[in-house]
Amino acid sequence: MKRTIAIVIAALAAVTLALTACGGSGTNATGSGPTESGATVEGGILRVGSINYIDSFNPFHFIESQSYNAFIMLYPQLVQYDFEDGNYVIVGDLADSWETSADGKDWTFHLKSGTKWSDGQPLTADDVAWTANTTAKYASGPTAVMAPALAHLKSAEAPDPATVVLHYNAPVGNVLAQLEQFFVLPEHVWSQYAVGDGKGLKTYAPENDISTMVTGGAFTLKQYEKKGTTVFIPDPNYWGEKAHVEAVALTYYTNADSMIADMKSDQVDWVDQVPFNAVDVLKKDSSIVVQQIPGAETTNITWNSNPYKDNNRELLDPQVKKALSMCVDRDKIIEVVFNGYADKVESLPGKISLYENKNLGPLEHNCAEGNAMLDQLGYTKGADGIRVAPATTGKYAQPAHKMQYEIMQPTSLDFNGPRAFDIVKEGFAEAGVDVTLKIGGDSTAAYEIETTDHCDPKTNSGYTGWDIAMWDWVGYVDPDFMLSVVTKGQWCSWSDTGWDNADYDALYDQQGTTVDENKRAAIIQQMEQMIYDNWVYTQLVEEQYIDAHTTQWDGMDPYLNAYAKMYWTRPHKVG
Amino acid sequence: MRGFDYVGKRVLFAALTVFVAITLNFVLFRTLSGDAVSALRCRQCTQAFKEYQREQLGLDQSRWEQYKLYLQDLAHGDMGKSLRTEQPVTHELWPPLKNTLAMVTLGTVFSIVFGVLIGVVCAWRRGTWADKGGLWSGLAFYSMPPQWLGLLMVLFVAGWLGLPTAGIKDPTLGILGDASWWAVFVDRFRHMILPALTLGLVLYGEYALVVRSAMLETLGEDYVLTARAKGLSNWRTVRTHGLRNALLPIVTLVALSLGFIIGGSITIEYVFSYPGIGLEVVEAIDQRDYPILQGAFLLLTLAVIGANLLADLLYFKLDPRVSG
Amino acid sequence: MSASIQGGAAATEGVDVSAARRPGSIRHVALREPTAIAGLAIIAFFVLVAILSPILLTGDPKEKVGPIFEPPSPSHPLGLDGGGADMVKLLIAGTRVSLLVGFCAALVSAFIGGAVGLFAGFYGGKTDVALMRMTDYVIVIPDIPLMIVAAALFGRSLTNIIIIIGIIYWTTTARLIRAQVLSVRERVYVKRARALGAGNRRLIFKHILPQVAPLLVANTVLLVAYAVFAETFITFLGLGDPSVISWGRLIENAFNDDAILNNAWWAIIPPGLCVTLIVLGATLFGQSLEDALNPRLRVGHLSVRRFKVRPLRGKLDSE
Repeated sequence: MKRTIAIVIAALAAVTLALTACGGSGTNATGSGPTESGATVEGGILRVGSINYIDSFNPFHFIESQSYNAFIMLYPQLVQYDFEDGNYVIVGDLADSWETSADGKDWTFHLKSGTKWSDGQPLTADDVAWTANTTAKYASGPTAVMAPALAHLKSAEAPDPATVVLHYNAPVGNVLAQLEQFFVLPEHVWSQYAVGDGKGLKTYAPENDISTMVTGGAFTLKQYEKKGTTVFIPDPNYWGEKAHVEAVALTYYTNADSMIADMKSDQVDWVDQVPFNAVDVLKKDSSIVVQQIPGAETTNITWNSNPYKDNNRELLDPQVKKALSMCVDRDKIIEVVFNGYADKVESLPGKISLYENKNLGPLEHNCAEGNAMLDQLGYTKGADGIRVAPATTGKYAQPAHKMQYEIMQPTSLDFNGPRAFDIVKEGFAEAGVDVTLKIGGDSTAAYEIETTDHCDPKTNSGYTGWDIAMWDWVGYVDPDFMLSVVTKGQWCSWSDTGWDNADYDALYDQQGTTVDENKRAAIIQQMEQMIYDNWVYTQLVEEQYIDAHTTQWDGMDPYLNAYAKMYWTRPHKVG
Repeated sequence: MRGFDYVGKRVLFAALTVFVAITLNFVLFRTLSGDAVSALRCRQCTQAFKEYQREQLGLDQSRWEQYKLYLQDLAHGDMGKSLRTEQPVTHELWPPLKNTLAMVTLGTVFSIVFGVLIGVVCAWRRGTWADKGGLWSGLAFYSMPPQWLGLLMVLFVAGWLGLPTAGIKDPTLGILGDASWWAVFVDRFRHMILPALTLGLVLYGEYALVVRSAMLETLGEDYVLTARAKGLSNWRTVRTHGLRNALLPIVTLVALSLGFIIGGSITIEYVFSYPGIGLEVVEAIDQRDYPILQGAFLLLTLAVIGANLLADLLYFKLDPRVSG
Repeated sequence: MSASIQGGAAATEGVDVSAARRPGSIRHVALREPTAIAGLAIIAFFVLVAILSPILLTGDPKEKVGPIFEPPSPSHPLGLDGGGADMVKLLIAGTRVSLLVGFCAALVSAFIGGAVGLFAGFYGGKTDVALMRMTDYVIVIPDIPLMIVAAALFGRSLTNIIIIIGIIYWTTTARLIRAQVLSVRERVYVKRARALGAGNRRLIFKHILPQVAPLLVANTVLLVAYAVFAETFITFLGLGDPSVISWGRLIENAFNDDAILNNAWWAIIPPGLCVTLIVLGATLFGQSLEDALNPRLRVGHLSVRRFKVRPLRGKLDSE
């Protein structure tokens, strides 16, 4: 009996050991120790680990920033950013050179020639013109998500296959910066959706069947698993800086522990965003290089600022929002949630943007004053310590009610949302306002909650059934995009606040067509002040952007994340 | 005739339970929840899809009509379409189901092996510390939340054994060329070991108990005494007969445990990011993809009903006291 | 190498049930068994902590008192968690919630199961068949998925979780109580009371219920274990009430805060250990109570969660 048991145990152990020993860790050769950045070694598979997933391959409909990264890899842009000497500079992608007419309204782009889509069809100025015109045509509806990139465009034409001319209604100051967010789509695939009301453009989901997807960029898509691994292969037809690797495998991890463990055991080469609790641990590891730069992602309290919403309208009062915001301990959030790797921020576009208004606020943590404000406004505390909003009359009359609200969070935050919520709850409680946390599902689900089913800017429907949310934005160098998300034009599209302010919208249009930089900066700062004064958002903190890669690789530039194809093509193994 | 009677009764009962489960499914997702399955709430769905949902679910008709439509569709194996991918639910659920089945089978194998080993040792050393220790350890593991045990495995065991802790495959395998089926098999197996091991540890206690009981009972039986009198090797006899006695309960246990395995494996899959049906359920909740949730829940319920029926039939076949 | 041969009875682990038959002496018997005492002690310890928690905890247990994942030190014996909060305080707070959920859900289950079993056993006939059929159907529904689906559909509040757990786990209790009622029903004094003209209600509440109650209590102890266990499942998947600290939430936090990466075993091990201990304690104590009260109902000792359908060896389920 003893013998039999022993044999069985030994056999099991042997089998398990054998199977754990074989099956390896990928095709990368393991070095014997940290290597210096030396000679570039071509080839290999770049294995990226991420806690952000790609939710779509349709630039007209996406929410996750990782999708945006995917677009950069897969679709042509006229121009992109590079980062040199501490500055962002615009360089060409599909476009080689460009000039503008004397009145600034016409921009001519000379495209590289001989370019092709992934299915071999020629990639020409016709595709550029078609995409631009279609986007402009449906800008108020299906293409609203990408429309800001072409704000004020009148029409686009392609006089020859390598030249595209963009005609603007007025001289636009930041054409190139805006075009960096413009992705050219293959007309021969997408034109079938641009019929009728064009809704097909928005609902077309290439990710459901990638074999029919046609791309044109630095990479083609070989495999897509939303919550698994997406594989990109360098496109042999790519006209720009070619990738050094044979493939990029982007793996989504639900659990950061596993992701970092895999990097330490040499199964992941590059983690594109290190969770804040892991930074200190990684910094101590000599086989891993940690890069830390000021980030572009700001976290916020999103206030439902829809002027037509039907209840809890006391939350439309900027003074109420300011008072509550003054009770939130942002330093604590930085300490507890971000482990110190974040900074307070006041403006919506964030510190990364040009023309940031540095005179906003700052928002002080002073709950005594917040309480005083609320007392003065007539929101008296009840016996249970919760303030009561008095009854109102008029069109949106409401009965007296306690100031008790739900704060909604999506599950797809890249920081610990519930902890951040606890701190906000604590602060609000000090002010006599009670909040509970509601988990809204993933980004798409949460967004649907905010915008609601029958969202339509023409009838002012949408943005009801919720009061407060907590979310984040990833901003850009040029503040145009971030400023656009609170316009009426982005209702049911990028807007998550439902704000509707005609004066602001007018300023937004104006800055878009102001060529003089100083004048434009002044308008932009005025807009930032308006957002701040109306407390459309309460900006909490700006996260630092931290990535990490093993010492066997080099060429990862965190500054290029979401800005350039070189973010993916420059990384290489080192010998 | 008694046998046929029994079998017929059990099958009928199972069929009725299936019917109840299907109805419960409908009530839960369509009635009680304010019709979570309707696609009319999803804004990014294509117009065509919304029309399809309206027709397929009979949204313009009465609840009773909707219920009949639902039954009709199920009879054709149609569980509706996912709200996110607009693909048939059955199509979406099949790959994760395969993954879960593989991992759960491996886990059950582990638990039976551990259970037999420890059960035999316990019976052999009845009354000693080995016996108590064996049973206690089984009980202890049984009382642990499986996800917690999974975390402990990652913390202490994974690094030591060099096993992957997430997913079901190495992302780079087969990217640049075809991987041999053996390499793929090994890769999948390696990813399955930790979750299956966790499951095995949680479950082995009851198998150990069963084996131990069977062994001890055997020890007291006449034919064993006779065999010993005849001089046959003590343990060979006891072992063979004992394990044979244990066979019925073990098999029944496996079938009956399915309910727990299904529940426990959801959290285990979550810890190990293992793309099985459990993880699919969690994601469907996140994405508010209620058709998937409804389909998965129905599948799991049917699995448990099927397993119970199997247990009943096996019990009948293998237990002489019943079929005799 | 001779195994000691026991008499034919299937041996089980340890509880000596030969002594008391009369319900009055359950305490007597149960307390003679060391495992039962240990179980009771564990439960008592945690209950004490839960009751004393307002005194033991000063201030907010979630408060950050040091760097994240600081290892155990004299001032913080179990170190700090991913938010820099004291693990001991968190565990105490969690004890209160976990046990609250456990007891409340167990009470719900006990109430439903007890009622079903009582009426089915007492009235017999069509009521019995109907109720037992219903029980059979409820049994096959996989519990964890149902709880998850219900939490997803109906919201994540603590009340919901208690109700959901309670609604799912009453089936074993129902069968147990029914069997007990059947046996009590035939006893002499009940028949005598009926002959004397006692109405049904009087019979149920004055004669049968007191006989059944101890077993119900014993079973409720086991239900507490089920419930605490089930709560950790729901919470771990992110479906728990976000505003409460429970043991399940602490395990979830460890998972989400990268405790493993930081090698913070003190954030991972204690909450799971507490759950394991409660389940163990409840199992040991509850089982020995059940055995002492009615040894013929021996259902198999590892049946805390599982054997909802039929006993391990022996008769087929009631036909």
